[in-house]
Amino acid sequence: MTAKKAAVIALCTALAAAAACIMMLCRPHGDIVLIKQDGRVIYTLDLSKEKDREIVVEYKGRKNVIAIENGEIYMKEADCPDHVCIHTGRLSGGAPIICLPNRLVIEYADRSTDAAAG
Amino acid sequence: MKLHRLAAAAAAAVMLTGCGGEQQTSQYTMFAMDTCVTLSGCCDRQTLENAGKEITRLEKLWSVNIKGSDIYRLDHEGSAKLSDETAELLRYSLSISERTDGALDPTVFPLLKEWGFTTDEHHVPDSERISELLKNTGWQRLKLDGNRASLPEGMAVDTGAVAKGYAADIIAEKLRADGVSAGIIDLGGNVLTFGEKPDGSSWKISVRDPFGKGTAGTLSLGECSVVTSGSYERCFEQDGIRYHHIIDPATGRPADSGLESVTVIADESRLCDALSTALFVMGEDKAFDFWRESRDFEMIMITSDKRLLISEGIADKFEQSRKGTSYTAEVISR
Repeated sequence: MTAKKAAVIALCTALAAAAACIMMLCRPHGDIVLIKQDGRVIYTLDLSKEKDREIVVEYKGRKNVIAIENGEIYMKEADCPDHVCIHTGRLSGGAPIICLPNRLVIEYADRSTDAAAG
Repeated sequence: MKLHRLAAAAAAAVMLTGCGGEQQTSQYTMFAMDTCVTLSGCCDRQTLENAGKEITRLEKLWSVNIKGSDIYRLDHEGSAKLSDETAELLRYSLSISERTDGALDPTVFPLLKEWGFTTDEHHVPDSERISELLKNTGWQRLKLDGNRASLPEGMAVDTGAVAKGYAADIIAEKLRADGVSAGIIDLGGNVLTFGEKPDGSSWKISVRDPFGKGTAGTLSLGECSVVTSGSYERCFEQDGIRYHHIIDPATGRPADSGLESVTVIADESRLCDALSTALFVMGEDKAFDFWRESRDFEMIMITSDKRLLISEGIADKFEQSRKGTSYTAEVISR
């Protein structure tokens, strides 16, 4: 390998790394999502790396099915009466997904704001 | 378990980036007052857990469902001797009823129950039933003499429109007294910040987009409280019509004021909580007239026809979200 070739490769690698850093920084929020039950974190997920799958969480005999699809997360099933969590849809930058009866919260670990009103 | 703790601590660190010096940052989540409560502060977790216990104690005094609570006894016995906190809460609630000409009315509870908003067994009552129940409402009929409260037969009160705000104020006071320099109290979207954010920047509080899943915008503020009342909370649909939980005391039906959400920004969370409901009931014109006569709050209203109205005192602190629903923003001046 000539010195010139090595320099080009090094430069490309550096550029790629810089681009990756910029992409990471420009994201509206991280991809790290926390699933909490009764205030405790039971799953820490990196949505950018997760394959499509379902997670079943139980609370006092009741069940929630959380689905991960194409790097997004949402509540697929919940055997609570109101289904507010299902209606919330996919997790976005705004409010977390909350299933009050089953004490379940799904939220981004890294939020650009300190709190969300509403 | 250790990993879980670490993850929780990491999340808290993001919310309150470093409390300066050697101070620790903690976060604590719990379920109380029918909502998800998150406390964050420059302190250890135990301090927040203790504050959490205080919220549970207040809930046991104010809940309409917990047998033996102050409000439960008042509703079921028609007269009750109340704890100091409950008497103050009712007194405050009545002062806002008076100030808003009854747009906030804690005695509207029998209607809230009839519509099923307290049990999630929703149904649309017929007009006769509504008029019958309306006869048993009226905040002026709730008598408060020192710590003794009384209600005429058939009437009942619920402090749901002020309790969370009032609790947030009490918790903030407690945390300060415990030496916590800064923190966020979030009772299911009723937000209160206190102290200066450790990195010196302003507190960033997003306002929910009632038409979408994201945020309508973000407020950058010093210590204050932000509370939103929205028609998207606790609602149900029947025959293609959506019914929400903010009952207009004048009609006994969900307030049909052309609004989707009202966000109030003020020093005290109790005022934000009470006014967000009352202003929602009033509707745009009356609410802004009310704001013009007042000096103790600012507000953001989102209307059903997708306008975002913001009072001039807060306009420069609000940044509209570039994603999601597009609103026509209007600054309302005094």
